Formats: sequence, structure tokens, C-alpha cells
Amino acid sequence: MNKNETSRRQFLRATGGMLGATWIGTHWPALVAAAEHAHQVASGAVEQTLGILSPTQARDVEAVAAQIVPSGDTPGAREAGVVYFIDHVHAGPYAARAAEFLAGLADFQADFATRNPGVTSFADLPDGAQLAYLKGIETTPFFGTMKFLTVLGLLALPSYGGNAGKLGWKLVGFVDQHAWTPPFGHYDRDYPGFVPYPKEQRS
Amino acid sequence: MSGRTFAPRDTVDFIVVGSGAAGGVMARELAQAGLDVLVLEQGPRFTAADFKHDELAYWFNNELLNSPDDSPQTFRSTAQQQATRVGDFPALWYARMVGGSSNHFTANFWRFHEVDFRERSLLGTIPGTSFADWPIDYAEMEPYYTKVEWEVGVSGLAGASPFDPPRSKPYPMPPLPVKSSGVLLERGARKLGLHPFPAPMAIASVPYRGRPACAHCGFCIGFGCEMQAKSSTLYTMIPEAEATGRCEVRSESYVFRIETNERNRVTGVRYFDRDRREHFQKARAVVVCANGAESARLLLMSADARHPDGLANSSGLVGRNLMFNTYAEVHAVFEHELNEYKSVQVTRIVHDFYDSDPKRGFYGGGGLDSRIGPNPIAWSLFAPPPERSWGSGFKELLEAMPRAMVVATHGTSLPLESNRVDLDPELKDAWGLPAMRVTYKDHPDDLAMSRFLQDRAVEIMQAAGAQRVWRGPVTDAVGSPHLLGTCRMGDDPQSSVVDRHHRTHDVRNLFVCDGSSFVTSGRGQPTMTIQALAFRAGEHIARFAKQGEI
Repeated sequence: MNKNETSRRQFLRATGGMLGATWIGTHWPALVAAAEHAHQVASGAVEQTLGILSPTQARDVEAVAAQIVPSGDTPGAREAGVVYFIDHVHAGPYAARAAEFLAGLADFQADFATRNPGVTSFADLPDGAQLAYLKGIETTPFFGTMKFLTVLGLLALPSYGGNAGKLGWKLVGFVDQHAWTPPFGHYDRDYPGFVPYPKEQRS
Repeated sequence: MSGRTFAPRDTVDFIVVGSGAAGGVMARELAQAGLDVLVLEQGPRFTAADFKHDELAYWFNNELLNSPDDSPQTFRSTAQQQATRVGDFPALWYARMVGGSSNHFTANFWRFHEVDFRERSLLGTIPGTSFADWPIDYAEMEPYYTKVEWEVGVSGLAGASPFDPPRSKPYPMPPLPVKSSGVLLERGARKLGLHPFPAPMAIASVPYRGRPACAHCGFCIGFGCEMQAKSSTLYTMIPEAEATGRCEVRSESYVFRIETNERNRVTGVRYFDRDRREHFQKARAVVVCANGAESARLLLMSADARHPDGLANSSGLVGRNLMFNTYAEVHAVFEHELNEYKSVQVTRIVHDFYDSDPKRGFYGGGGLDSRIGPNPIAWSLFAPPPERSWGSGFKELLEAMPRAMVVATHGTSLPLESNRVDLDPELKDAWGLPAMRVTYKDHPDDLAMSRFLQDRAVEIMQAAGAQRVWRGPVTDAVGSPHLLGTCRMGDDPQSSVVDRHHRTHDVRNLFVCDGSSFVTSGRGQPTMTIQALAFRAGEHIARFAKQGEI
């Protein structure tokens, strides 16, 4: 927890605990501003360095992730730095699962080598061949894990190591803001209000 | 936090086990009636400032829940199977903290309808089930539903639903602003001649009783409310209980045994504190409000020579008749943006299919509501159909998320004695206590009703003009946060665990009040009824205490 995050928590703790809810009601805009600022700090990116994965492993992990959420006109898993998320969580919240993940990755690489003699690694295959290969293994536990981790790495708070530049959130149209006011979308903009049902319809 | 502190040598009037939806209400009612109350809560005490918008932490790393890491569970579909340990997510889950699951719930607050309490009389028996009437009816519950709406805080529009049961007062707060999903559900449903209406929610739509109004941040389901707008007991009942000066809420206190004496009276409870030191706290009476899974487990763990099958279990029904409420989803994508990640999950509901209709050929009823399900990670993992679960088709769906919504179905679960919570014969939790074993398989009618509701949801989304509509799976449930029926209420000690006042038939100074008291499941959204039961039970139990009838 960095310094700004600490002061944010102290501030919110003070408003929530000592000053009470009435104070919060009166000082609502200030609270929202504080929370928003703090949230931006809390969701700030972390450095894109590898801790657990070797460069070779990282290339394959990134290549698989980039097939799950491909790049194109809009950014995909590669640009969102999903590989760094996968690396970082296995040194952090998922440390207990790191050995299992690395074993699954090793099996994936070994199977690939057996079935593709002469190709150094999955990441070296052309795009179409990568897709075809993954279709053949999409029901394996390792692919399931990669799918899960790729989505997490795309959409979890950037402080976990992925979602670089909030590209994942941009992809799905999510904006991390602590307060909204109506209208929220296109269809509620001109809602005329709830029209009650005629009395005779009532049971 | 204020209030009073009791010493272990003190004999308190009441120990309330659990501080959630039921325990919070119970503590306040007993304390305000002038009784000394010690609430023992196994989880920690958070403040609003502790909660965060971290979907990974709360939805996938179980930071607020009964984590399988220290509280493992086993699961099987039938008693003939060997139960296996549940992996990353608990089968029966709840928020483990002061305020319990009233912190992380969606805050849908439907009242039960009149039929929910007397369906057995209306429809007859259903072979192979323990389908029964409640010992109390809606008229008896009505004042307590009103009490929940006004004292806990519910937003809604009285009279909006033609199907609503009679009420003595309007809601204290207007409904929350409608979202695009609500407008579309309403549009499609009205086209089909149905009667959608504004959702009653236990979330403040305007400042209420010292709490601010909802800021529409969107992080309700699975999250604690940073704004104190969600009417969790953490922000409502618990502080009011403590303000009496007669209530202590002792967090990180894990009750694992209720002790009785040779006169078959409860003498107190044993619990572990945060450092796993064991304590015994004396009490004149105990009210178990630990939720529909843990209350049953606690009674079973309290077995002794006089109660070899568990405390208050002469009927053999403690832990049995576990019910969930069915849940299924229909997904839809529209032309324009909805931005469903904003604001509360639900703003419109359809109750046209609430009553069971023999013409359908199966028992069941339910409701539909509009929602996203609910935040970016969960939607991405769970909403896409299998053929679009990765690759370019998956990415295309992800980019459609701002235009997507969910219609969720909420339906009945029939009570079956074979569906149950009991103690795993081998697995232990991190405190060395027997792990919870869950046995559950939906009745065929439950799944038939779920599919029926899903069909109606598809029609509504098509009528609303969706560009693309698809169904989520309807399969046998393997878990739920709706924990119901395991200490059912009834007049007959042979076929129920607690009486109509939540006193156990077997032990005079032991009460159980939470989702476990339910006789039938209702159609979903049980917390409103859990809290109404707690207000009612609290009033009766306080009266018994004052009249020397405990």
C-alpha cells in the first residue's frame, strides 16, 4: 500500500467512522472526489517485469493469451499486458498455485514439441496455426486456466499487473468511477416514468 | 463502535450467534427491549472504508467469504455418492463479517406473497417431497415486512405490482432510478401483456436515517457498500443495537459448540477467538442466527451423550430440506449502449409467473429481473456461450458488453429431506472441526420451472428488440448463497425443528432464526423474509424473557 493509498484509507476511515453518516451526506461531493482520486491511485499500473516466468515461457503464455483475446483494430490481451498479470499473481495472490501452473505450462510446451517437431515454440507458429493448435486442446485444464487468467489479466485492477493503461476496461466499455448520475445509458435517457396499471387489472 | 462489554464470567441474557441479516435484527430487537445481548460473529468487523472495488479479490479470491482454504466443504448430489472436496469457491457461501451476507448481497427485497405460506393447502401434496404449509401466514408477517422496509430501509413503489400482497404502509423511499436494462425489460414485458414494476431494493435512494443515498457506483452484488447506502445490518441494526448500551458485538469469535446441562437447558457457548484460544461464555438463552448452513452445522456439532444426533434434532431434520432458489440467465445485446456496470443491479421485475400453475404440468413459480451479471470479469467468464468463449468471437462479445444485459430468473426449490447439510466424516476445517458436507440435487420440477422462466425471459428480450439473445445453462445446482430450510419451522415436533416462535422444540432456551427457518423456498430474494422473521421472533423472544418463559 503506497502513501497516497494510506492517506485515502485514513481519510475514508475518519469520515466513515468518526464523523458519521450525516457528515458524509453533507460532504458528499468531497467524498466522491476523494474516492475517485484514491481509486485512480489504487488502480495504477505496476512495472512490466517478469519474476516467475522465463522469457521463453512468457512468449508462449503471451501467445496463448493473444489467441484468447486477439489484437486487431482494438487492443487485445497482448497490449493489455496479460502476461505480466499472469507472472505477478503467481508471485502474489496465486503463489500457492504457481507450481501447478508452471507444471501445466511445461506439459503444454512438451506436448507442443512432440507434435510439432522442428518448431522451437508455440509462439513461433504463424497465427492461423496457433489457432488451429489451440482448438485441438481447448478442453484441457491448462487451456481452461489460461482462459481464466487471461480474462482476469485483461479486466482486474491494473495494480495486479495486467489491464495496462486500462486497455481491458476500455475494450469492454467499463469506466472506473465511484459515482454516476442518470441517465446511465441510451434507453433510460427518455424514460417517461413508470405508468401504473389500471385498477381493474389488479388482483 | 460503542456499546457494552461483557466478561466471560457474566451470564448474559442472550447470546446471538451471527451478526448478519437475522442476527443484526435479533440483537437490536432484544437489546432495545432491555435485555443484555452478546453477539458472537466469526468474521472480522470492517468499516465502509475497508471495502474496495476489486472484483478479483471479492469474486475470485473469496476475501469476504467463507473461504474453502480455512473452511473447506465437501459436495455430492446424492447420499449414495462419496462427497468430494469443493475447490476454489465454496458450495454454500456467505459473507463472513459483521453484518454477514447483508453486506455483499444484491439487496433485492421482494416480500413473499400470501401463497408462499400456504401452498401445500392450495396445491396438495407433492410425492417424495416435504412440501408443507408454514405455521404462520402472510397476514401475521405483514407488520414485520413493513418494519423491515422502514427500519432497515427499502426503496420501492407501493402498489406498482398488481401481484403484490396487501401492505399497511408505502415504502419509505422512492424506487432507485431506472437503468436501461429496466427500461428494456419493461418495454418487452409490457408488449407481451405482462406487468413489470420497479424493483424494491434495500438500498437508499435518498438520504435515510443518517445514511447517504446510493451513488450508483454499480458495485453491489458481491461487494460491501463503500457509501453505506446499502441497508446492511453493519450500517443499520448493529449500530442501533450497540447504541442501547446493552449489546456487545464480539467479532472474530467462532462459536463451535452450544453446551447444555442435565436439565436440558443451554448454559452457554464455546468459541474460538481470533488467536484460536477457546472460551466459554455463559448465557441464559442462545439465539442461533448463523445462516441456513452454519446454524444447522453448529447444532450438529453440539451433539453430546444426551443429544447423540445433535442438539434440537429429535426430529432428525436438522440440516435437512436444504433449499436454494433456482437461478438461470438469458443474455441479450441491443443496438445502443446500456452501460449496465453503472448503478444497482436490478431496477425492474416481472412477477406474472409467481404463482404455481397446475396447467404447466409441474410445481413452481418465480420472478424475472433485469440486471447485468454483474461486473466485467464475471460477465466475460460466465456470459458468453461456449462457441464464443475465446478468440475473435469472444472478443467481439466483450466489445458488446456496454450494449448487453441479463434477465435473471429466480424460482422455487422444493424441500427434499435428501438435500442437506451435515458433518463430513473425515475432512476438518482449519480449527480442527468437522467440515460441512453438502448433499444437493434439484427436484425435476425446479429445473422445469427454471426452463419455463428462461423461455419467458427470451420472449421478453425479443419483444424488447434485442439484436442477439442467448441462454445460460440450466443444470443441477452445485451451490448457492440462498441457504434455506435446514431447521424448518412448524407446530409438530416430529416434522420441524423450531416452533412458530423459533424456539427449538427440544430445548426451551434455544432459538434458531435465519434462512434455516424457511418451510418453503419462496421465489428468491430470501433476505427480506429472513429479516421480517427476525423482527417477529425478536418481539416474541423478548416477551418470553420478560414473562419468565425462557
